[in-house]
Amino acid sequence: MNFEAVIGLEIHVEMKTKSKMFSTSPVTFGDDPNTNIAPLDMAFPGTMPVVNKQAVINAIRVCHALHMSIDDELWFDRKNYFYSDLPKGYQITQQRRPIGSEGYLEIETSSGKKRINIERLHMEEDTCKQLHSWDCTLLDYNRAGIPLVEIVSKPEMKTGEEAMKYVEKIRSIVSFLEVSDGKMEEGSLRCDVNISIMPVGSKVFGTKVEIKNLNTLVNIQKAIDFEIKRQEAVLLSGGVVQQETRRFDEAKKETVLMRVKTDAVDYKYFTEPNIAPIKLSKQFIEDAISSSPELAEVKLERYKSLSLNDYDSNLLISNKDNCEYFDAVVANGANAKLAANWVLVDIQAILNKEDISIKQFKVSPKHLADLIKLIEKGTVSNKQAREIFVKMQENDADPNELVKAMGTTLISNESEILAIVKQVLDNNPQSIIDYKNGKDRAVGFLVGQVMKLTQGKANPALTNKLIVQELKER
Amino acid sequence: MSYLDLNIYEIHQALLDGKVTPLELAKEALSRAKADTNNSFEYISENEALEAVEALKNKDKNNLMWGIPFVIKDNFSTKDIPTTASSNILNGYTPVFSSEVYVRLINAGGIPIGKTTLDELAMGGSGMTGHKGFTYNPYDPSHKHMVGGSSCGSAAATSSNIAPLGIGSDTGDSVRKPASHAGLVGFKPTWGRISRFGLFPFATSLDHVAYFTRSVEDSAITLGLLAGRDDKDMTSSFKPVENYFKNLKPCISGVKVAIIKEILDSISDQYIKETYLKTVDELKAKGAIINYVSMDIRLCKAIFPTYFIISCAEATSNNANLDGIKFGPRYEGSDYQEVMTKARTNGFSELIRRRFILGSYSLLSENQKDVFLRAQKCRRLIVNRVNEILKDNDVIYLPAAPTTAPLFNASADKLSDEYLIADNYLAIGNFAGLPSLTLPLGKKEGLPFGGNITGRAFDEQMVLNFSLGLQEITGLKNLSSKEGK
Repeated sequence: MNFEAVIGLEIHVEMKTKSKMFSTSPVTFGDDPNTNIAPLDMAFPGTMPVVNKQAVINAIRVCHALHMSIDDELWFDRKNYFYSDLPKGYQITQQRRPIGSEGYLEIETSSGKKRINIERLHMEEDTCKQLHSWDCTLLDYNRAGIPLVEIVSKPEMKTGEEAMKYVEKIRSIVSFLEVSDGKMEEGSLRCDVNISIMPVGSKVFGTKVEIKNLNTLVNIQKAIDFEIKRQEAVLLSGGVVQQETRRFDEAKKETVLMRVKTDAVDYKYFTEPNIAPIKLSKQFIEDAISSSPELAEVKLERYKSLSLNDYDSNLLISNKDNCEYFDAVVANGANAKLAANWVLVDIQAILNKEDISIKQFKVSPKHLADLIKLIEKGTVSNKQAREIFVKMQENDADPNELVKAMGTTLISNESEILAIVKQVLDNNPQSIIDYKNGKDRAVGFLVGQVMKLTQGKANPALTNKLIVQELKER
Repeated sequence: MSYLDLNIYEIHQALLDGKVTPLELAKEALSRAKADTNNSFEYISENEALEAVEALKNKDKNNLMWGIPFVIKDNFSTKDIPTTASSNILNGYTPVFSSEVYVRLINAGGIPIGKTTLDELAMGGSGMTGHKGFTYNPYDPSHKHMVGGSSCGSAAATSSNIAPLGIGSDTGDSVRKPASHAGLVGFKPTWGRISRFGLFPFATSLDHVAYFTRSVEDSAITLGLLAGRDDKDMTSSFKPVENYFKNLKPCISGVKVAIIKEILDSISDQYIKETYLKTVDELKAKGAIINYVSMDIRLCKAIFPTYFIISCAEATSNNANLDGIKFGPRYEGSDYQEVMTKARTNGFSELIRRRFILGSYSLLSENQKDVFLRAQKCRRLIVNRVNEILKDNDVIYLPAAPTTAPLFNASADKLSDEYLIADNYLAIGNFAGLPSLTLPLGKKEGLPFGGNITGRAFDEQMVLNFSLGLQEITGLKNLSSKEGK
């Protein structure tokens, strides 16, 4: 019997807003535990939620990127349950009226383009972080109250690859919109997979299994592919798939049982009474969208219009930080093609070697742009530029200053070079004869002689031009 | 006579004239608080009061609250002062921030005398359920009568002249009912008029900051100070605050007054009824237009169950933060469930647990439609009818309660019309969030009883002006349990 899988994803994205979803404490990552807490985050009696406007703007932007309809009224609900990571005993979420509904995105897989429909997007607050040790549980409330968007797909994916591409696309969207770091390894983008299988052509879904704690894109694909095979094996051997929660064991490369789902928890949802429904004006929604940072797709089009080739454009948008750096170099007046080359080749080599991100790279976009301009003007040769670039990495030195200090400025004065060219030609009559006899390499030799006399400071392009011009005249 | 026995605006004048000093007033109030025999206090804030007196030097003397002692219910968060909501689950809890109401009072120069007792977590109307036991009605030195609740301590302290202002909270009638039993003016302004930030929530959609004074004038003064937008409470209103005290003038002639027949009819006490009707006659004589209106008896009978379901549902969620993990008494256990279960079993009285179970039951997905959402629908119908009445009338005027303060051991027939309607109808002011004020109408066998005036949303001035007119008719102003002693 042939089976097909039905896969739906729930993605939680932690927003990097300045403050939390409903309190004024800062949102930071990596700070000492329990240092970024307002009374609300620990649910002290009498505290009240105040909705974070930037979080709403972010949610609108993601909704727009996912082609969703955006509710013009904000409603929040309480999801009630007791757990040690839930300070208030309820989570403020948007159960009944999510801000975004009915959207889609398009993914490209090895078997072509596919549209994945998205059911809903809603805002909510994160819980506190738990660290379990053998005899106690430690609680870090820094995370409690960080704004989240949850994006729920329709169960329309069929393979691990599709799911992986879908998450990759969502990650690109939230990071390009500056909504989130989108770092799966650090938990700022978390993905839960719901997966069932059924005989091909069947209309009845099989029993759903949930896979949690998937912390890389690759693991999403591997976990799903494994889980499909596992469920097939269970059914083919006459067994029944249990409704359960599993996790992916990276070492074993398989999903393992976490817990069997018993009766679903009744969350006793009701409307949050501390937040009266908030009307979102058309203007507010439009402003949020029009002031939104550029999406990867839009950037791609723009790069192509700067006459970058497809390969370079795609390579650039695969990393948002590189894009930002590149955009800044171009904004400082550098030629786009040269800038792309420097960012993607020269700088990448250094980043790889030093294992740092472009954000930690010493040379500022402004100074790289200045260097590229020097090359374009012919003030320095490519070779010289690379020497200068090495020096620039020490302390982001100004390339114009370096050129002066190093005395590497090319001689670009035509009459100055012409005088030397004439001198060289006078001293090498054989080369003139060779040239007249069609031996073009004589030009190279003559350029070399000019360079020798000028200690390499003659503008090579200009030198070449003047030699050919002079040869023709003789 | 002590200046402490006067109204706020009179004390203010005496302070300006130098007839009394803030320190003398504070010391007198503290000594009366210490001598209190009615179980009014969770905490007497002697040091805080003396510090506040000291800080007056840097504050504007012309503020009417400058140097005025006040007491505040122990469900208002007060920084560095223990706040228990009279529940064992918060024993030893000292907040790290103060409620907006407390901050405004202190900033204006108010002198905090103490935190007052309440029914546990503000749930209850008897003043019998706090962790410190019964709070007594100051009008009965034999301690047989309740003062009512849940703001029992603030009612007792204000009526025994410990302070001219007692801050409370009102979710069903928790200020306006005890005001009736204690001969006080009890005012609950419109929902959103006063910030709830720092008030421990009982039932958010019904909770109001409210307060006791001994005159309508003092009620107007206090509102002017407490009303206004607070960015920490998203539900607080941006509507401008009026100068309620300056604009205060008796207003009866031409005022359209609605009397809801079904509610009046459910009262059996003839003396209370007659006293009330006499004031109605006098209002008429002074030019008020009296309209007897009707409210479907089924709606009237639904007020209490509707209130109970909505308040319990919200309460079970609002109090889910009290789990023994973050603050309050801590009990060890092998897992989080055990820690929470122990804290909540030991921390809440049986009555509270019963309310939580009822609230949870009504919110369960299998019951929500039939119970919680039905109560919400009912609330909407009641609110619609009340707003209809207030479209044609300026105020609704009725007795505040069907009886004087009950005996502690009295048992009400909870299915009688009197209990279901007259004893619980004040909750309509919470359903609709309307400004609602109780003031004294008379006394029966030494115990006071009051009337209640409810007006349109944000029409506090009308409620206060009409009440001032009524106060002139009754002549019952600045009542105190002290005069009877």
